[in-house]
Amino acid sequence: MMEAVLTVHRLHKKIKGRTIIEEVSFDVREGEIFGFLGPNGSGKTTTIRMLVGLVKPTSGEVRISGHDVAKHPEQALRHVGCIVENPEVYTYLTGWDNLAFSARMLDDVAEERIREVARIVQLDDRIQHKVKTYSLGMRQRLGIAQALLGRPKLLILDEPTNGLDPKGIKELREFVRRLAAGGLSVLISSHLLSEIQLLCDRVAIISEGRVIAEGSVEELVEKAGSYVLWQLDRPDVGRELLEASGQVKFVTEVEHRLDEAVLASLPGAIVTSMPKELVAPMIDLLVQQNVGVRAALPIAPTLEELFLGMTEGERHA
Amino acid sequence: MVAMSRSRLLWPLLAGLTAASTVCLLLGFGWAVKDMLYPAMAEVGPELATKPETDEALPLEEATEIRIVAFGDSLTKGTGDTTGEGYVKLAAAGLRDKLGKPVRIINNLAINGMLTRELSEKLELGSGYRQAIKGANLILFTIGGNDLFQSARAANQGRPLSALQIAGMASALTETMDGFGKVVQTIGSINPDATILYIGLYNPFYDVEQLRSGSLEVQQWNTNAYAILHKYPKMMMVPTFDLFEWQIGKRLSEDHFHPNHEGYKRIAERIVSALE
Amino acid sequence: MHKLLPLIQNETLKIWKKRRFYVIIAILLALIPIFTYAELKVAQNNADKFTDWRSQVLQRMTDIENTLSSDRIPEEWKRSRRVLLGQLQYYLDHDVDPSAPNAVTFTRGFLSNSVTLFIPLLILALGSDLISGERTSGTIKLLLTRPVRRWKVLLSKLCALVLYVSLTVVVTALLCYGISGLVFGYEGWGLPIFTGFRMTRDTIDSSQAHAVPQWQYMLMMAGLVWYSALVVAVLALMVSVLIRSTAASMLTMMATVIAGTILSNMSSSWTSAKYLFAVNLNLTGYLDGSPPPIDGMSLSFSLVVLAIWGIVGLIVAFGVFTKQDILN
Repeated sequence: MMEAVLTVHRLHKKIKGRTIIEEVSFDVREGEIFGFLGPNGSGKTTTIRMLVGLVKPTSGEVRISGHDVAKHPEQALRHVGCIVENPEVYTYLTGWDNLAFSARMLDDVAEERIREVARIVQLDDRIQHKVKTYSLGMRQRLGIAQALLGRPKLLILDEPTNGLDPKGIKELREFVRRLAAGGLSVLISSHLLSEIQLLCDRVAIISEGRVIAEGSVEELVEKAGSYVLWQLDRPDVGRELLEASGQVKFVTEVEHRLDEAVLASLPGAIVTSMPKELVAPMIDLLVQQNVGVRAALPIAPTLEELFLGMTEGERHA
Repeated sequence: MVAMSRSRLLWPLLAGLTAASTVCLLLGFGWAVKDMLYPAMAEVGPELATKPETDEALPLEEATEIRIVAFGDSLTKGTGDTTGEGYVKLAAAGLRDKLGKPVRIINNLAINGMLTRELSEKLELGSGYRQAIKGANLILFTIGGNDLFQSARAANQGRPLSALQIAGMASALTETMDGFGKVVQTIGSINPDATILYIGLYNPFYDVEQLRSGSLEVQQWNTNAYAILHKYPKMMMVPTFDLFEWQIGKRLSEDHFHPNHEGYKRIAERIVSALE
Repeated sequence: MHKLLPLIQNETLKIWKKRRFYVIIAILLALIPIFTYAELKVAQNNADKFTDWRSQVLQRMTDIENTLSSDRIPEEWKRSRRVLLGQLQYYLDHDVDPSAPNAVTFTRGFLSNSVTLFIPLLILALGSDLISGERTSGTIKLLLTRPVRRWKVLLSKLCALVLYVSLTVVVTALLCYGISGLVFGYEGWGLPIFTGFRMTRDTIDSSQAHAVPQWQYMLMMAGLVWYSALVVAVLALMVSVLIRSTAASMLTMMATVIAGTILSNMSSSWTSAKYLFAVNLNLTGYLDGSPPPIDGMSLSFSLVVLAIWGIVGLIVAFGVFTKQDILN
């Protein structure tokens, strides 16, 4: 078992008598990319702020490398680099000055390290320019450079893809993977499952201030169940055949929450819920019965689906 | 990399400047508190910078510029003149015309309600008056009116006209005359070279039947005053009673005591005529 | 005090790079020539009218005496006139010109006139956004997620602010001297100035009056201005912690300072107003012996009242800042 870099233990937060965060616990292990998933307003940002000392928990504790953030912020936060929401930097300063300012707030960061992180985020050619002139992507990179300055063990990125274009998102993803490969733990929060899915080893899902699931992405997706969309030449016959297998469940339009765009690309598609391993035999069967299979498409559920599945499961249990 | 080295200089520079400022101000603050709470009593102040380089004026006839210092009571101040000029300014203007010399009013130190005793104190104590008188070659002053009429005015406050009376004027007269003598003597000793004009008194109540007799008191004052001034060849009295006593309606202001603009003009004309 | 110095360096450089101080210098550069010109006009006018300063002072005293003899002048106003009269007489008796036009005198006048309003406003321009500015721009998150305790962050800001308060006072004085000297000449450092007048109810007690050279007087005055400005700065910092919007926090402090100025002019009847900080800002008034706005105020009183305000401000600022949740 790898050592936990971040331990969150039974975190509570009450603001003006309202409980915002309840019983939130999770761990982030060394070298892993951890996804912190939740829709807007789920308490995701408040939790992240508690991790880095911006908000004081009402009860519970956050330990980073074994140091309590509330009690020993100087020791605990030494091992954390973070970007909370937007990459906030001083726009009236140059990139270099921003990094130098951060360096002065840490212990023994040599000037060489500043050059190094600037190079890592590929800002070295613009580092002497005022941040005012930077694009959002560059500010993001500067923010990351700032976070990396103190050689942290844990990097916290809150909604890092906000406002980035697809290319930027892809670059960020690769960059985070590289960092993690170097032994750094990364905690990424997001409200988009697709982002997390592609990047994270493990995720925690938060809804209404509570962690409703924690585990590997595959596990979770599995738990929620995925859909298989069928586009057939003879839908009536096909439907009967599928039904006859006894393991296929049809999902009506009211029940599923699939992206309209996906459905539009497959007009007349039958939405089903079935075990994955049954897909290949079913195709064989349909083809044997002269039902032309134009498409058989497994689709992962959206985050909303996932939530729905989980919260329903909870309610039932 | 130029920018880098410049910003590297900025901090030591700023730190040095601000820290030096802070120390400096802290020192000043401490000094101020010490000085205010425990004043250095016996400490001799710095040697006074300049001794008065008294710019003593030449006598009127030889001077290229007439320098006027006026003092006394409300008459010299010009109370009652709605234009605010008073006889001093009018006389200065008249002299400028007649003599063709520049005329400068150095000071008009008149104070409303001034008594002879008060003027005497000013001359004795205030170094300012001495200084001013020394620097003048024409001195104009009025005094005595308040001493004489104060009691009368007070006694008649709010009475119907028929009940008016002159009370205590005679007694005030003798008392005040001594004070006047002292005033004149002091002025003469401060600046023996200056031309000094004393503006005589008039009875502003001449038109009030019961108070007309006050004029006799006023004349008594004027006579005594003239007698005192007469000892000094450079001093002269400018009489004014004849200007007002038949012309009270026309030349006195609404307060029935001070001249109006017209009245002041007449006084000024007298002064100019005396000096032509 | 591990790490405090680099933090102060950060905060000092931030204020500088935000160009706040440039604005202050620009304001001073615009205003001082105007006042210098006004002062020059006054001096020219006096030179036309009076042969020397003594007759000018004498005339001023006479004018005051004439207003004193009027029944319609309020008693408290008369008191302050009487005090002024006593001072002028003292200067005259000691043959010292209280307002010899030179650069040092001008600077002295400028400082003593700006202690209640102008300097505080300059300080507010510096201090009002120290915290609220970071909150508006979101950089507060950057500041508070570092391995530095919050009180150290605030302390470093306070130190930087104090340094800039000092710099502002000194630069104001230097610019005054430099600019007005072009017109009035740069002499006057040794001119004796009287201080130590005490006010009793109706009169002025000059038994403890004594002369100090003008340079010393200037230094003492600047020190007192600095103390006032410091308290304003601390309170501005507190308001900046409490109020999230920079504009609102600046407005709050400006309103308070201006209200204080108005109150000290209205004065007297409401005696407990003397416990308000803004009424006590005019410390230089004690130095030149002008009567305090409200009975019972003295230098030590004002110093203590200001100190209490400052300390309470610090306690509130640190108390709130170290506990505050940064939620947006």
